[in-house]
Amino acid sequence: MSEEFIKSLDPRVSRMQMPADINEQPLQKEELDQLVTYQVFMQKKEGKNFEHAGIVHAPTQELALLYAKEQYSRRFTCSGMAVAETSAVLASPVTDGGLSVYELLEGPAPETDGPAEAYEVFHLMKRGKQHEHAGSVEAATVEEAFLKAKESLTPEKPVLNIWLVRRSDLLTIDEEDKDIWQTLPEKGYRDAVAYKASDRLKEFKEKN
Amino acid sequence: MYGGGNTFEKLQGTDLQQEDPQQLAEFEARIQRGEKIEPSDWMPQLYRKQLIRMIEQHGHSEIIGALPEGTWITRAPGFKRKLSLMAKVQDEVGHAQLLYAAAETLGKPREQMISDLVNGKSKYSNIFNYPAFTWADACTISWLVDAGAIVNQLANSRGSYGPYCRALERICAEESFHLKYGHHAVTYLATGTAKQREMMQAALNRWWGPLMHFFGPPDKMSVHSETLMRWKVKMASNDDMRQQFLDMYVPKIYELGLSIPDPKLKKNEESGKWEYTEPDWDEFKRVINGDGPCNKERLAVRRTAEERGKWVREALKASARKYVAPLA
Ligand SMILES: [Fe+2]
Ligand SMILES: [Fe+2]
Ligand SMILES: [Fe+2]
Repeated sequence: MSEEFIKSLDPRVSRMQMPADINEQPLQKEELDQLVTYQVFMQKKEGKNFEHAGIVHAPTQELALLYAKEQYSRRFTCSGMAVAETSAVLASPVTDGGLSVYELLEGPAPETDGPAEAYEVFHLMKRGKQHEHAGSVEAATVEEAFLKAKESLTPEKPVLNIWLVRRSDLLTIDEEDKDIWQTLPEKGYRDAVAYKASDRLKEFKEKN
Repeated sequence: MYGGGNTFEKLQGTDLQQEDPQQLAEFEARIQRGEKIEPSDWMPQLYRKQLIRMIEQHGHSEIIGALPEGTWITRAPGFKRKLSLMAKVQDEVGHAQLLYAAAETLGKPREQMISDLVNGKSKYSNIFNYPAFTWADACTISWLVDAGAIVNQLANSRGSYGPYCRALERICAEESFHLKYGHHAVTYLATGTAKQREMMQAALNRWWGPLMHFFGPPDKMSVHSETLMRWKVKMASNDDMRQQFLDMYVPKIYELGLSIPDPKLKKNEESGKWEYTEPDWDEFKRVINGDGPCNKERLAVRRTAEERGKWVREALKASARKYVAPLA
């Protein structure tokens, strides 16, 4: 019995031997088949703050960092990246009407004697913009970390949303491997400025 | 890349009467003030559903749009063109990831979006159901289909949903490379040998119809689409975007000594509007409903990738994880 395959203009697609009735049975992907998500934070230039860039779906944190580099640093400069699983990001509520989310937090921080951990603090200053790294705090609990951030990091302008990420939940590139970000010279062909057709067009117009 | 003409039809169970009037008023006031909506904000059901649908369709268009161009990478003339086209196709797939992520913030997992795509439940830009016969077709897509997509995406980037705007900001920055690359490639064919010019003209003739379809059927303003415009979900009418596209690109096509296969096409100097032969909307409907030259192949390729790549995803999948929707 000969099975019928989809014929394409592209011989490689024909060679995939896709049965002609391939889409007749519905396909239902299972939960997590696309893996979990990681939040990506990116430093565009040395000396600038890390900013939220977006997410990647990945099976492990190491691969998340690799995918993030591929997805978010294809163009322009990048001098650092860090990834954390989405479930590791501790988010405050979002406020508005000029109210800073820090005003919702009542201090002082409760006394705790557990071991302190480092938290990275990210602020959203305007709706539609990115969360930006504002600093770090040492705290024994999440609650304490929020309150310590209030004490040490409150900027003049209202903060609409806070994200806390334990430093131990973030993966980044080691200081000695930083040269992996020196990719600018080899990605010129990805930029619009590399494509100048005006001379060719001018010459053509003059001839015709 | 992306075509307009996405469908904004009546959705069930999304009556505005069922929404809390106070929350609805606050939501609308926020949009009026020009503020963006963030995922954790209250939003009407209709807003959520239409945005999911629109952003998801946009994502699918990027993925499926990468197929006709992707098949030309190995046959692109010379190393430089291969490199550029590969970079462009990689961008398009990256755009899909950004868009799926934005849609995920509204509560629809990526698994479900992909299932709906291969099952034909959600749409993608109709133009990708047409084949790229020659290298010149691939160049036409890179230049003019992307040009249309940019008109659409720039309009949408002024919309009200924060995560979609953030994704579009990245996307639009990359599209400027696609546009310049596409124009460069078309220019070299159009100003090349007689055979190259002929090939370029033939490709343009094939794509003109689908390009005129690209922004969707002519406007019929319904109450429904007024609501979506007020909420800054739909940012420009199909006809306005089509006019903008013609304004920007017809002169650039003529400049290359190419002609456009529509004898009626001309700008009415009085009204400032382009007049053209009404594209075949029956064909548009037929193709969008599955009966186009490549619909079957496009979905089959996507499904095959899904099926044949499953063992890799299985092998990578860590156990005991739980799904958390992206936050922004
Ligand atoms: Fe593009
Ligand atoms: Fe595109
Ligand atoms: Fe794109």
